[in-house]
Amino acid sequence: MSAPEINNHVIALERASKFFAGNPAVEELSFIVGRGEIVALVGRTGAGKSTALHMIMGVMPPDSGTVTVEGLDPYRQFRQLRGKLSVSFQTDRLLPWRTAVENVELGLQIGGVSAVERRKRALQWLENVKIFGEENAIKYPHQLSGGMRQRVSLARALAVDPALVLLDESFSQLDHVTSSTLRADFATLVRRLGKTCVLITHRIDDALEMADRILVLAAPARLMLEVTVTPALRADAKWRERQHHDIAAAMAVGMTPEPVTSAAAS
Amino acid sequence: MTDAVHPETPQIARGVSTATLIKRDLWANAVVIVLLIAGMQAWSGFVPNYIMPAPLETAAAVGKVLTRDIGDILITLLRLFYAVGFALVAGCLIGAAMAMIRPLQPYLKSIIVINTGIPALSWMLFAIFWFKNAEMRIFFILAMILIPFYALNIYDGIRALSTDLVEMVETFRPTRLHVLRFLILPHIVPYVLMTTKSIIGYAARMTVFAELLSSTIGMGAKMGLAQNNFHMDQVIAWTVLLVILNLSLQGLVAGAERLLLRWRPEVVVR
Ligand SMILES: Nc1ncnc2c1ncn2[C@@H]1O[C@H](COP(=O)(O)OP(=O)(O)OP(=O)(O)O)[C@@H](O)[C@H]1O
Ligand SMILES: [Mg+2]
Repeated sequence: MSAPEINNHVIALERASKFFAGNPAVEELSFIVGRGEIVALVGRTGAGKSTALHMIMGVMPPDSGTVTVEGLDPYRQFRQLRGKLSVSFQTDRLLPWRTAVENVELGLQIGGVSAVERRKRALQWLENVKIFGEENAIKYPHQLSGGMRQRVSLARALAVDPALVLLDESFSQLDHVTSSTLRADFATLVRRLGKTCVLITHRIDDALEMADRILVLAAPARLMLEVTVTPALRADAKWRERQHHDIAAAMAVGMTPEPVTSAAAS
Repeated sequence: MTDAVHPETPQIARGVSTATLIKRDLWANAVVIVLLIAGMQAWSGFVPNYIMPAPLETAAAVGKVLTRDIGDILITLLRLFYAVGFALVAGCLIGAAMAMIRPLQPYLKSIIVINTGIPALSWMLFAIFWFKNAEMRIFFILAMILIPFYALNIYDGIRALSTDLVEMVETFRPTRLHVLRFLILPHIVPYVLMTTKSIIGYAARMTVFAELLSSTIGMGAKMGLAQNNFHMDQVIAWTVLLVILNLSLQGLVAGAERLLLRWRPEVVVR
């Protein structure tokens, strides 16, 4: 792949398909994510969002088509993407035997950063996600609240300074207030750092709030609708309401009609 | 195997403070010991002292044994630590191989399961036939007895590793060595400690037994000697020392556990 192309987009899926036991989870999915863009993948449960993300992460190859991340095949060139991409999951997935700061250090340690340097950076990252003070940095995961754990896990993902951040419904397990502040913090942070980001959610409001572009998938992960969001449009309540309705309808393609209205009304 | 459920844990449930519990246990221990000594004293009045010596005689024997045979105690400890250390490492390797090399798993498992069915006595007799050297015999007996415990527990431990954590670590694009260092090793530490805690007393008893059968030095050998010479006071003295040794070893492992498993939330069952 040529150099300008690599600079133009961070992720490219070209007719990527994935089957499980003969059933398609992702079918002929194509999209491109540009540098610095925040893209939301929305879709009902089972639509194939996580499967698409797994192919981008390189934990599984597509059965047909291609997936490219930073010009590399994330599955075959697995190690070459070290430090270029990181993932934040639905649950915090902290290592229970490591303190908060040691958890943040994990990626840096794998990247071969020296002990002193990685401790410094990890502490800085904890502050960036608003976990202040030595006493919190040296707490074990079970001593932290759910919201704090999620913040630590976010710091861990960002500490390796990846160009690309993948987020699989990272905030959905928290209570509403915690998740909305966390969401806002995350969006500001990612924007300020100029990171490229793909986030998965099934909450349309989350997507409208955070993303520059929304890709609506319907099972098996086919692109049903693409919505581009600008700050001006985001501020327009009428526009949001209409998009909300359209997205809900696109998500429900192939389903019984009842969920459309109930989803649109929520 | 799931985490060891400590028999003490439910007592905490009754809302009694730990300090009170410790005090109560100490009191109970003291009562039992005093009763044992009183029983010895009473019994020794009726029988010759090669059947049951008086407590004071026994205390003197403990002192004598401690000054004369301290080397034997150290040798027994050394044999125990060597064998447990070896069984720990070998057991971990076998357990890891069982969990990580699929085609080997059924064969290794079958070997381990058959091994657990072989009585310790058979290993002791095999060792006497197969090896001339006493150290080799004792080491072999203990290794054969202990390795399966470690192997099976580590195997279960690695299988219990959450795929979520594996996937998380993988996102940082680690080498195999990274995965081993940062994920698998720390994960199996509790299993290693739990296994050590449950086998250490058994291992100490087996060491002494093996020494009795195959060596002329060490606590077991000295106990055999005392028995041959009708020194019942010394047999009891050694027994007292073995009880103390066993309890100290349990305490040592429990201390290591507290130190190494600080990260664990304390489980309080209510
Ligand atoms: N490892 C797997 N083995 C077999 N089937 C799978 C596997 N992963 C996903 N699937 C199937 O593929 C389809 C898409 O699953 P996927 O997890 O990608 O959905 P999703 O959009 O992430 O859903 P959710 O919103 O519930 O997370 C589902 O029908 C699922 O059962
Ligand atoms: Mg999913």
